[in-house]
Amino acid sequence: MIESAIYGLTIGAILYFVSIGLSITFGTMRIINFAHGMVYALGVYFFITFLPRVGGNFVISALLAIAAAIPVGYAIERFVIRRLYGESLDYAIIATYALLLIGTDAIKWIWGTVPQQVTEPIGISFRFFGGGFPLYRVVISLSALVLFLGLNLFFRKTVIGRIVIAALDDSEGVQCLGLDVNKYFSIVFVLGSCLAVLGGILYAPISAADPYMGHDILLIAFAVVIVGGMGNLTGTFISALALGLVIAITGRYWSEAADTMVFAVMAIVLIYKSYKA
Amino acid sequence: MNSKADVMHGIRPAAKGAVFRDMIIIAAFFVALIPVLAMHRVTDFMIFCIFALSFDLLYGFMGRLSFGQVLYLGTGVYASTLFSLHVSTNPLLAMLAGVLGAAIVAAALGLIVVKLNEAPFALTNLAFNQIGFFLIGSTFQKITHGEDGISSGVEPWGFMDFSNKYFAFCFVLFFLLFTFYMLTRLTRSPFGIIIRSIKENELRVKFLGYDTFSYKWITFTISGALAGLAGTLYTLYVQFVSPTFIHPLNNVEPIFAVLIGGAGNLYGAIAGGVLFMVMRDSLSTHVPQWEWILGGLLLIIVFWLRQGLAGFVRILAGAVSNRLSLRRAAGGGSQ
Repeated sequence: MIESAIYGLTIGAILYFVSIGLSITFGTMRIINFAHGMVYALGVYFFITFLPRVGGNFVISALLAIAAAIPVGYAIERFVIRRLYGESLDYAIIATYALLLIGTDAIKWIWGTVPQQVTEPIGISFRFFGGGFPLYRVVISLSALVLFLGLNLFFRKTVIGRIVIAALDDSEGVQCLGLDVNKYFSIVFVLGSCLAVLGGILYAPISAADPYMGHDILLIAFAVVIVGGMGNLTGTFISALALGLVIAITGRYWSEAADTMVFAVMAIVLIYKSYKA
Repeated sequence: MNSKADVMHGIRPAAKGAVFRDMIIIAAFFVALIPVLAMHRVTDFMIFCIFALSFDLLYGFMGRLSFGQVLYLGTGVYASTLFSLHVSTNPLLAMLAGVLGAAIVAAALGLIVVKLNEAPFALTNLAFNQIGFFLIGSTFQKITHGEDGISSGVEPWGFMDFSNKYFAFCFVLFFLLFTFYMLTRLTRSPFGIIIRSIKENELRVKFLGYDTFSYKWITFTISGALAGLAGTLYTLYVQFVSPTFIHPLNNVEPIFAVLIGGAGNLYGAIAGGVLFMVMRDSLSTHVPQWEWILGGLLLIIVFWLRQGLAGFVRILAGAVSNRLSLRRAAGGGSQ
């Protein structure tokens, strides 16, 4: 059971990394950015490509992959999302989905369709109450906590963070103050993309990299955003961990149903919200 | 009430006769396609067109973009197949079961999703589709045979024999025309005007005193039932079903068809459906990975071709008629 709990917190931590970017774009621009899944998958494949070239150094390769994902994230924001922002939300959703399709095929083309394994960077396992669990997972869980505290500092103490928080609440109000909201959105958008890539890289040793990984994680990350409240950053953290536990505990008893259970939880939350309102 | 009726009358654009004229044109179009493509493919295309029409009602007319319409297609497919295997082999009863099944699922889920809009609506539908796919592919594996798929138990009944390709063509064409007729009447009725108004501005419709929830819910259910109809036709025609019919990744297909044809335009949905199927057939045989082409075309539509083919044709027709009238004016001047 403790094993499942640790596993759940690990999954939850990764979901938190991926969901932050979605939650911010969703809270500010009201669009669901399917291209987030593309950046996530692309980042992991970058990482796999860099890994042998830097002598198998996990950290350096991860940093390189994140650096490589920055222009991709920026281009998506600048040339697709911003051009469609304020016009029609549906078109923005469809355009980002189109990017996901193109990205998935590009991955299949360049790296092939066979899932690729990544070896775990920390080979140490703990023995605990008869069950063993790898140190790596504990590190991931802790890094999510660090990220949560870091983001809280960023959004409370820095000017950019405060503007974004204000814009999450009332985007037009912030624009009325004469601030160019778009500029701050692109910074936060790229930040969200980087975090998604980081989440993907941390997840890669636990699962494997395959071209459709972006599709799969996106739906679950979206469920996290819905359950946590759109644009609610603390809510995203709590719901990511909670849904991570749901996945782990369901997976223990009925492995195929793990992802589906997340959507069931999301449906229950939606029903509850719609009857409360 | 009197003034409202007047307004409605003013908006109603075309007379009844025009609908029948259009239906004849559509029928002639598909018959004319037979020599170009094979008949079995045209039948296949027409079923997809019914599916695209069901999506057009939801997205084109009511402005609700769903990423989960395939769920209702798949429900139609599996409800009719399982009905034919376990209850009765009569094709018409199987169809009825499929359409009813899809309508019931749509009505039940509609109660939840219809309250949402925009991105939450799109993705909640996708999530439900994922659950449906899981239920068909995994949970009820004993009944549905999961990924392996099952053959339907539908048997010929009287003259209704779906292995006869002429009969299958006529049967599917009949249902395509039926769907087209029903949707034309529906979207031009007072009910349809409310739906289209919800797309433009739901709040105002509410202020006018309409209960928008029930309008949206009824439309969602009709759309689901029509998608189910397309699904039952697949059951009858293909006679072998597998979870690909309910796979969430296929949701891009109706979206693409409706967008390329021009959302909110029934001819557009049919033209887009045919165009998509032709594209899929020809591309997938030549290019192993062709989805990026689909993505690229979607981007082009979103950025430069908002009205789809219908808008393109309209612009072209406008330019031609302008040119003609200019020429006529010039000719008249010289005389």
